[in-house]
Amino acid sequence: MDDTTKIKTFIVEEFMPDVPVEDLESDYDLLEGGVVDSLGLLKVVAWLETEFDIGVDDAELGPESFRTVDQIKAFVDQARAANA
Amino acid sequence: MTESLADAFAARAARDPAAPALLWAGSTVTYGELDALRARAAAGLAELGLDPGVPVGILGKKSPEAIALVLACLGDRRPFLLPSIELAPDTLDALFAQAGASHVLSPSTGGGEAPLVARPVERGDGDGPGLPASAEGPEGVAFMLTTSGSTGLPKIVPLSPAGVWRFTDWAAAQFGIGPGTTVLNYAPLNFDLCLLDIWSTLKAGGCVAMVDQDRGTNGAYLVDLLAANEVNVIQAVPMLYRLLIDATREDGTRFPAAAHVMSTGDKIPASSLEQLPELFPNARFFNIYGCTETNDSLMYEFDLTGGAPVNIPVGSPLPGVIALMVSPEGEFVDGAGTGELVVWTPFQTRGYLTAELNAGKFVTYPAPDGDGDGGGDADGGGGEKIFFRTGDIVRRHDDGSMTLEGRADFYVKVRGVRVSTQVVEQAIMEHPEVIEVAVVAVPDELAGSRLHALVRKEEGGKLNSLKLRQHCAGRLARTEMPSSIEVVTEPLPKTPTGKIDRKRCLPRQERTTSKNG
Repeated sequence: MDDTTKIKTFIVEEFMPDVPVEDLESDYDLLEGGVVDSLGLLKVVAWLETEFDIGVDDAELGPESFRTVDQIKAFVDQARAANA
Repeated sequence: MTESLADAFAARAARDPAAPALLWAGSTVTYGELDALRARAAAGLAELGLDPGVPVGILGKKSPEAIALVLACLGDRRPFLLPSIELAPDTLDALFAQAGASHVLSPSTGGGEAPLVARPVERGDGDGPGLPASAEGPEGVAFMLTTSGSTGLPKIVPLSPAGVWRFTDWAAAQFGIGPGTTVLNYAPLNFDLCLLDIWSTLKAGGCVAMVDQDRGTNGAYLVDLLAANEVNVIQAVPMLYRLLIDATREDGTRFPAAAHVMSTGDKIPASSLEQLPELFPNARFFNIYGCTETNDSLMYEFDLTGGAPVNIPVGSPLPGVIALMVSPEGEFVDGAGTGELVVWTPFQTRGYLTAELNAGKFVTYPAPDGDGDGGGDADGGGGEKIFFRTGDIVRRHDDGSMTLEGRADFYVKVRGVRVSTQVVEQAIMEHPEVIEVAVVAVPDELAGSRLHALVRKEEGGKLNSLKLRQHCAGRLARTEMPSSIEVVTEPLPKTPTGKIDRKRCLPRQERTTSKNG
C-alpha cells in the first residue's frame, strides 16, 4: 500500500467509515468539508508520528497545511527528508 | 346561553342517532351509541359525588369509551387534565396533583359492570394551588392539555370552553366538516390536534376514523384504514405521510376521497411533500402552524403543481389571529428580517396553570389596529392583548412572506459562532436521497458544541457522508458543517408524537457517556 492510500485509508476509517476509500480524492478539501477539524487534526498527527515514524513540531501544526491528502503526503515526505 | 361542545354533541345525537360518529376497530359507533356510552360515563362520574367545578384527571388510551368520558366531563362542566399515557407514573402523579384533580378516571375496559375506574389523587403539601376560582364559565377551564415538555415537568395548558368553541367553529368551516364527512384522527387523545380531528368533527356531525395508537406506525394498517373508510379530511404529523408513501409504493393505492390534507407539528420534508398529489389526487394541501398554548395560528396552502417548495412559508394568520415578529432586542420587526414569532389567537390559553411559568412566555403588547377580531377577547379587551412567545424564529422576506428559520432554542454555539441546527438540517434535507435528518449538538471541550448529523437514506441508496459533505459545502458555513455524519437506512428515533427524538440521535458513544472519547 503506498503512502497516499495509507493516509486515505486512515482518514476514511477514522472520520467517515461509511465511505469507500476510492471515493476520497487526494485533492479533496478535508477542512472545507468539515471532515477534519482541530480535534481531528490531533488524531491525524498522532497517527502520522507512529505510522511514518516522524516527529512533528507543534509549531508546524495548523489545519491549513493538512487540507488535503496530497498535502498530508507532502508533509510526510518533507518530514522524512528532514530526518534523513 | 353558553355554547358548549357537550350540548352540540347531544343535539346531534338527538337529531340523527343513527349517523356514524366513530369508526373504531372495524366497526361503527353511531351518535346514539356514543351518547349511550357518554351517559354511562356520566353516571359513573355522578357516583363519585364531586363538588361542581372540582377537576379530574383522565388517563386512557384512545377508544370510544375514552371519548365518551371526555364528553361526560364536558357535559358536567368539569375541568379535566388529559395527559399522555406514556408519561412516567411519577410525572403523571405530579401533574394530577398540580391540576388539583380529586380523582384520576379511566374508561373501564372489558365490558365490566363499572362504567369507569376512579382512583383518588393523593395530594402533598408542596402541590400547586389547583384551579383558580375563575375556572368556571365560558372563559374558565374545560380541557387541560400539557406541553410536550422537552425539559422538566410538562406544563399544564388550560383551555376555556369559549376558546375551544371558537376553534372548533373555525376548523369545521375551514375544512368542510359536517354530516357525511369522515375525518382521520391520527394523534393520541391528549393532543391538541384532537380539537380538530375529534372535537370539531363530533360538534359538526361528522364521523371520526380513529387510528389505534398501538398501530400508528404500521403502514399497511394505515393504508387499509384510509382506503376502507373513504376519509375526507386528514391532519397529521409528517410521519404519517411518509408511512403512507412507503406502504403504497408497491401496490399504488390512492386515496381519491381525501379533500383536505394537512401537515402539522413539524416541517414536512420535500421528498414526502412532492409525492402527496399522487397519493391524494383530489385534495388541497395545507401546512398548519400552531402550539398547544395558542392552538392553530397560521396556515399555508401548498401549490404542488410545480413540485415542492424548499422553504415552506408559514403562511398567513387564521381569521382573528395576530402574528408579530420581535427581534432579540425586543423590537417589533415590521419589514424584512428575522425575529421570534409572537402570536395572539382567539383560541389560546390565558396562561399556564402554574402562573410562575408564564414569565417570559406570555407578554402583553398593544394590539395593532384592525386586527379583524374574530371572537370575544380572552383577555378582557382594552388596547392590549396577552401574546404568546412561540420560541420559533421566522424570516420575513421582501415580498412579505414568512418562513420558519428554526427554534430559538435550536441555536447552539460552535466555536463561538451561533449556529441553528435546523438550518443545517434543512441544507442536508435538500439532498434528494435524504429521507430524514436530525442534527444535534454534542458538548465538546474545544468547540463548545460540535454538530452531529444522523441521516436516513433510501434502502440501497449510494449516499454517504462524503457525498453529503460535498453537497453541503456550498450551502453551509464551515461552523455549520457537522463534525460527524452517520448515514443509516432505518427510520430515525421518534417521540410518541411522531416527531424526531433528537435526544436519541446523539452519536452512539454520547448516549451512554457525556465525555467525548
